[in-house]
Amino acid sequence: MKRDFLSGGVLIALAAAYYIATGTIAESTLSDEIGATGLPRLLAMLLAFIGLALIARTAFVALAARRANVPQVAADEEEGAPLPRAVGLLLIGGAYVVLLPFIGYFLSVALLIGAVAFYEGAARSWVLPTAALGGATLYWAIFVKLLGVHQPAGSLFLGWLS
Amino acid sequence: MTSFWDILHLLTATPLVPVAILGLTWGILGGALPGISASITMALVLPFTYTMDPAMAIALLACVYIGAEYGGSIPAILIRTPGTNSSAATVIDGYELNRQGRAGEALGISLMSGVVGSLFGLAMLALLTEPLSWLALAFKPTSYFALGILGLSVIASMGGDSLLKGLASAVVGLMIATVGTDPISGVTRFTFDVADLLSGVEPVVVMVGLFALTELMSQSGSTSVTQLGGSIRIRLPGWAMMRKLRRSQAIGCFLGLFEGLTPGGGGSVAAFMSYNEARRWSKTPEQFGKGSEEGIAAPEAANNTVASTALIPLLSFGIPSSNSTAVLLGGLLMHGLLPGPRLFEQNPQVIDSLYVGSLIAIIAQIGVGVLILPACIWLVNRPRPYRAGFILALILSGLFTLNNSPFDLGLALALGLMGYLMRLARFPVLPMILGVVLGHMVESSYRRSLVLSGGDFHIFVEDPIAVGLLGAALFFIVFSLAREYRDARRTQLQETHS
Repeated sequence: MKRDFLSGGVLIALAAAYYIATGTIAESTLSDEIGATGLPRLLAMLLAFIGLALIARTAFVALAARRANVPQVAADEEEGAPLPRAVGLLLIGGAYVVLLPFIGYFLSVALLIGAVAFYEGAARSWVLPTAALGGATLYWAIFVKLLGVHQPAGSLFLGWLS
Repeated sequence: MTSFWDILHLLTATPLVPVAILGLTWGILGGALPGISASITMALVLPFTYTMDPAMAIALLACVYIGAEYGGSIPAILIRTPGTNSSAATVIDGYELNRQGRAGEALGISLMSGVVGSLFGLAMLALLTEPLSWLALAFKPTSYFALGILGLSVIASMGGDSLLKGLASAVVGLMIATVGTDPISGVTRFTFDVADLLSGVEPVVVMVGLFALTELMSQSGSTSVTQLGGSIRIRLPGWAMMRKLRRSQAIGCFLGLFEGLTPGGGGSVAAFMSYNEARRWSKTPEQFGKGSEEGIAAPEAANNTVASTALIPLLSFGIPSSNSTAVLLGGLLMHGLLPGPRLFEQNPQVIDSLYVGSLIAIIAQIGVGVLILPACIWLVNRPRPYRAGFILALILSGLFTLNNSPFDLGLALALGLMGYLMRLARFPVLPMILGVVLGHMVESSYRRSLVLSGGDFHIFVEDPIAVGLLGAALFFIVFSLAREYRDARRTQLQETHS
C-alpha cells in the first residue's frame, strides 16, 4: 500500500523532471506540426496522470478498507534479495566499469569474478583465486582471442594481455 | 519461394548448422539453470550477435529459444525447480516420476514431446507467417501507430497485477526511446551532451539490464542449494509410448498454437492450459499428479510449440507477445531488419535461415539433449556464488562488444537497479522493454500521419485498420480495468466476511 503511494509520487516526479528537460530540446526549421518536443511532453503528462491515478486508487482502497473495518494487510513483503544486498552487487559491477580502462580486461574480469563470488558467500580458499583467474583466462580466450573483440588493455600496463 | 537449392546453399555454404547447434546447446544450458529464463538466456547471447551476419544472428537466437524451452524441464523433473516459467507445469508429474526412479524416462518424454511440439510449431510458422505479413502491406502510418499502441496496451494490461503499473512501465519505455536524435527533424533530445547517447539507448542494453542484471540482483545472497544426481541417463520413449502420448501432445500443440498467436499469451499459460485439458481428455485422469506421462507430454509439447508460433505475430507485424520474442525483435532491429512483408521480400535469407536453422535445432535436440545432460547437471551443481560471478562477467564482457564503450556497461547497471526497484514495487518490466523497442515506430508513425493530414487528428479515425486496432487496444484496457475491479471487490468481500 505504502509502496504504491511512493510509486505514484516517484512517477509524478519523473514526469515533472522529464517535462522540464524537454525545455533543453532545440527548435528545428525542419520540424513538423508536432515537433521534437510534442511526444515527450504528451508522455510526461500521461505519466503524471498515471501517477496521480495510482495514488488515488491506493487512497480509495485504503479508505474503503477503513470504512469496512477491514484490517490493513501488509502485502508489501520483500521478493528476492534486500535492497542493500542487491546494490552491493551492483557496486561491484560499477567498480569493474571504473577499473576496466586502467587495469585492463584480464585483471578486471578476474577481480570481478572473485569479488562477486566472495560477496555471494564463496568460502575463502584456494578455489576462489583459482576460479577467478581461470574464469578470466577463459573469457579472455573467448572474447579477445577467439571472437577478436577489442577489450581495454589497461592504461596502467603495457597491454600485453590484450 | 525458397527452392531446394537455396536450402542446400544454406546448409553447405554458410555456418548455419554449427550456429543452430551452438544456439541449441547454449539454450539448453541456460534454460537448465534455475532463475535463468529463456529470455535471459537469449539476452545474454544477444550482444555477441552484433557482429554476426544478420541471418545467422537471428537463427542463433531462435535456436537458443528452442533449446531453453527444453532445458527448463531438466531441473523441473530432477529437482522440482522449473528452469524457466513455462516448464512449471512439468514439475507436477515430472518430479513425481523422478521420485519413482523414472527420471530418465520423464526426461525422454519431455524431450520427444518438445520435438513434436517444435516441429508442429515450425510448420505453422512457415505456413501462416508470410500470408499474414501481406496484410501489413495495407498498413498506413496511422495503422502502424495504432499497431504499436495495441501491442503496448496488450502487454501493459496482461503483464502484471495492475493496469496502471503496466501502462506506467510502457510510458517510461517510450520516454527512454525518445533519447537520442529525433526521427523527423534530426535535433538531439535528452542527450545532455553525452556523445554515447546521440544514437539513443540500445534496446539490447535495456533488455540485458532489465532481464539479466535484475535477476542477478534479486538472487543475490540466496542460500538455496540445488544438487542433481550425476548418474541419470535419458531414456527416449518407444513407439508404444509415443502412441499413448499422441492425444496429450496434440492438445499441447493446439493450445501452443493458440497461445503463441495470442498477444500476452506465452509458454507458461499454454503449458498449464494443456496440462488441464490433457487431464480432462485422458483415459487415466486419476494418474495426473501421481507421475502421469501425459502430464509431462502435454505441457512440454505446448511450450515448445509456443517457441515457434510466438514468432508469427512478431515476424508478420513486428509485435512481440512475450519476453523472449521481445529479445528476438531486439535482435532484428539491431541488424536493421524490420518485421513485415518487406522482410520476406528484401531479406529472404534471414527467414530461410530462421526456418532451416530451427529445423536443424529441433532435429539435433534429440541427440544434443541426450549428450548434454551430464554438462547441465555439472553446471547446475556449481556453487551459486561462482555462477553469479561468471554470469556477471559474461554480461559485462558481452555488452562491451556492442560499442566498445564503458558507458553501455554503466547504463545497463543503472537499468538493472531500475528493474530491481520496479520488481520491488511490482511494476512489470516487459511493457518498458516493448516501449523502448516500439518507441521509434510509434513516434515516427504518429508524426508522419499528422504531417500527411496537416496536423488534423481525424486522420486516425479515417483509417479503418487504425480504428480497429485502436478499438482493440481500448478493449484490452477496459477489460483489464474490469478484471481488476472485480478482483478488488472479491478480495474486499472475502476480507469483510472473514
